[in-house]
Amino acid sequence: MRGLAATFATLRKVGGSLTGAVGLVIVALVLSCALFAPWLATHNPDALDVMNRFSPPSGAHWLGTDQLGRDLYSRMVHGASVAMLVALSSIAMALTLGLALGILAAYLPARSERIVLIVFDVIASFPSLVLALAVVAVFGPSTLIVVIVVAVTLVPHFGRVARSQVLTLKSAPFLEAEKILGASWPRIVFFHVMPNILGPLVILASMDIPVVITIEAGLSFLGLGVRPPLASWGSLIQDGYQYLSDSWVPVVVSSVALGVATLGFTLFGEALRDAVDPRIGREHG
Amino acid sequence: MTGVATSSPPALVEIRDLVLEAATPRGTAHILRGVSLDIGRGRILGVVGESGSGKSSLASCLLKLLPSNMTRLTGSVRFDGTDLLPLPEGQMREWRGQRIAMIFQDPMTALNPLFTVATHLVDVLRRRHGDITRAQALERARAALVSVGIADADLRLQAYPHELSGGMRQRVMIAMALLVEPDLLLADEPTTALDATVEAQIVDLLDQLRRKLSGSIVFISHHLGLVAQLCDDVCVMYGGTVVETGPVDEVLAAPLHPYTRALLACEIEAHDEGGRLVSIPGEVQDPVAPHVACVFAPRCSHALDACRAGVPALRDLGGMRKVACIRAEEFA
Amino acid sequence: MTAATPVSDPVSMYRGPSALAPATPPLVSMRGVSVVFGGAVRALDDVSLEIVRGDIVGLVGESGSGKTTLCRVLVGLTQASGGTVDVDGTPVASQLTGDALAFRRKVQMLLQDAVASLSPRMTIGRALREPITIHDLPQGEALQRLDQILRRLGLPADVLQKFPHQISGGQARRVGVARALVMQPQLIVADEPTAGLDVSVQGELLNLLLDLQQEFGLTYLLVSHNLNVIRRVSQRTAVMYLGQIVEEAPTRQLFDKPAHPYAAALLSTNPAIDPQRRHRRIVLQGEIPSVVNPPSGCRFHTRCPVAQSRCSTDAPALAEIGPGRQVRCHFPYSLDPQR
Repeated sequence: MRGLAATFATLRKVGGSLTGAVGLVIVALVLSCALFAPWLATHNPDALDVMNRFSPPSGAHWLGTDQLGRDLYSRMVHGASVAMLVALSSIAMALTLGLALGILAAYLPARSERIVLIVFDVIASFPSLVLALAVVAVFGPSTLIVVIVVAVTLVPHFGRVARSQVLTLKSAPFLEAEKILGASWPRIVFFHVMPNILGPLVILASMDIPVVITIEAGLSFLGLGVRPPLASWGSLIQDGYQYLSDSWVPVVVSSVALGVATLGFTLFGEALRDAVDPRIGREHG
Repeated sequence: MTGVATSSPPALVEIRDLVLEAATPRGTAHILRGVSLDIGRGRILGVVGESGSGKSSLASCLLKLLPSNMTRLTGSVRFDGTDLLPLPEGQMREWRGQRIAMIFQDPMTALNPLFTVATHLVDVLRRRHGDITRAQALERARAALVSVGIADADLRLQAYPHELSGGMRQRVMIAMALLVEPDLLLADEPTTALDATVEAQIVDLLDQLRRKLSGSIVFISHHLGLVAQLCDDVCVMYGGTVVETGPVDEVLAAPLHPYTRALLACEIEAHDEGGRLVSIPGEVQDPVAPHVACVFAPRCSHALDACRAGVPALRDLGGMRKVACIRAEEFA
Repeated sequence: MTAATPVSDPVSMYRGPSALAPATPPLVSMRGVSVVFGGAVRALDDVSLEIVRGDIVGLVGESGSGKTTLCRVLVGLTQASGGTVDVDGTPVASQLTGDALAFRRKVQMLLQDAVASLSPRMTIGRALREPITIHDLPQGEALQRLDQILRRLGLPADVLQKFPHQISGGQARRVGVARALVMQPQLIVADEPTAGLDVSVQGELLNLLLDLQQEFGLTYLLVSHNLNVIRRVSQRTAVMYLGQIVEEAPTRQLFDKPAHPYAAALLSTNPAIDPQRRHRRIVLQGEIPSVVNPPSGCRFHTRCPVAQSRCSTDAPALAEIGPGRQVRCHFPYSLDPQR
């Protein structure tokens, strides 16, 4: 109950600033598109209508059609679900794994901890896009690969933050008090450590969403991301770019969608961070 | 002038009806609810009070280091005739560097970790004497450290705050305050954060220095024993008001305000035998509550309806003693 | 002490309210305990202390004295590097590897920062039920006991829904006491129970602790820098300096006539309000040395007003100088009441 009330209070704070409000609206929009795509879309995004390719925006097709006559508006709406699917699942994976490794690293003896940190550093030294390209080159493009690769590249980020949070907390009196009461280590970690470090991590996660959206779009643009006919904004941009001479509408529509979504999540993430604890994430940029 | 006998010199600082309010999420907090106080020349005034008494805020007001959420500051603080409250910040800075100095409770946060002790002291001297040369300043800084009992002064001059112990840092702060050659020295719980034996050294130092210092000292503390030992006069504060003032030995031997009496009864003295320990039931009034009655009435065992009907004035009872209680005569 | 106790009987003179026959083993017995951190810092050195069941033993000392480490060793948070620590007749180390939960139920601690000792995202109600869950105590009986304790401590029912940052320091302290009492402990280590409390409310808390001692048959180790509290409340007091116990005696005797020069100086630092009762303070020279590099010989010799050449080379051992009184000093002050 307190969680719900606190969440609403935080959202109200986020909406208090102009940028926060804009971000909140955009995020709500994108999430609605993602969740209710089949209902918000006017057509089946894969329905071909070659006779009507490159038709301009009209009553039948709100944003016109692409090179195969598919409704751009519907494809754009479904693109939101793809972006959200990849972003949320990879971040959730990275968060879980990073949290677990980070907590472990904080409690392990020095040598083992150093190994974990070296693993973090090795992964972090790879630019995520390059790593994704390499993996896709080996295993071929697929949504799952994209999600896993992105998740792996984000693990060190969450892992390090989780670890430093736990280290700060380790000397907290209430953890000592629980030990004196007789609480076991798993109990202390699950009920006393995790609830107190989850907050900053969730906020960092929300600030990573725009990053992942962009990575996924980039991979799809290169044809290395989600496979057709799944409509990612990135592949929409690619298609539109290929047929730019025939119509400028597809490129613009999908680019705007991508740009607005990324901007919206960025504004939301930063406003959320400022509403909860302005100190989070500054060191990580 | 209220309460000052014609034969004694005028007070160095006269505070009249000082009101300080600040904005908080729950409403306006009344931090100081009309404080009137005299600080005698060349005297040490102890200001005692518990949490919520406003004693630290009083010191901040004297220096005009006010909280950012302050909404109201009225009354007058006459320092040697000049009212400090309406002074612009620029002029107030002059006062702080030359006529008023302060020692804080936690010397670590009061000293800049990036600068050596020498820099701190020379800075103070430069602000006090604009034309002093660096060589002269260093010499005086060195002498100041020696006067506060720091043995290897040359070594300490080059040290950084984190390299010094708590007691040493406090001595540096005292040296800094002394170099200002202030007319008024404010000490806000200067020994509370120190170990007992170190505290004894600092108290001893203050005791020696007060004879050399021509100015007045305000010693803020919650420790009645310390105040009894070091101070000439005492001012007891409660809930943002002054409840009793007077010469320290008299007030502590024969307190007239119910709060002072209760507070003394709570003190565990060395000669106490068995029996239950005394405490004052209830809590300090919420600072957000309006000031329409005696602040101590809810917890006072002698409260009458009249006490809840209006604010008791700080009355002069003769012999430099003032009490803010309508029933004070009954306890004399 | 009853009126019938002959003053010349040294044993019953210091045994405190629950006068037991000397044959009963003490609740706590620490012998020659040392704790060394990182191979260099001797936080505790040759500490020997006994706590009789039903007593309140006071522990005083300044920074670096080791009193915090001693508490941590007693509750099993820190392992002793040497010496033995027995609680209820059995070494702590073996209790922790054996039935650790039983040990935890026996020895509890009240931490100095009462609010910070409570998990910030847990309601008080949940925090109070933690011991019940951890120790798998019979629910009905334990919850009833908890309810009684809460009422006994004067905690309002609505405190259960609050979070630690929403309650006052005094309430947090009482919550800490309640949480400890649920497990029916035998020994409670209280670390600065009155720190941060105004003088006007500390009496209430101390009365409570004293009452609980009688009602629940508790034994306390009380750490405090407030000498008045120690003097008033404890039967015996141990004075620590740089990791060692330098003097240990019945409280009244210690405060009346301390034998160790450091104890004498420390106990003289507390100025009395009444000018008649103010005695001359002993002001020590110098700073408290660092624990990493303690002085040679007697650790106090660098600041001792009566140190002799022997003191810098020869470390004194804890020796008995009177019935129930021990001092670690080559030249302790005389116990002669005339001096």
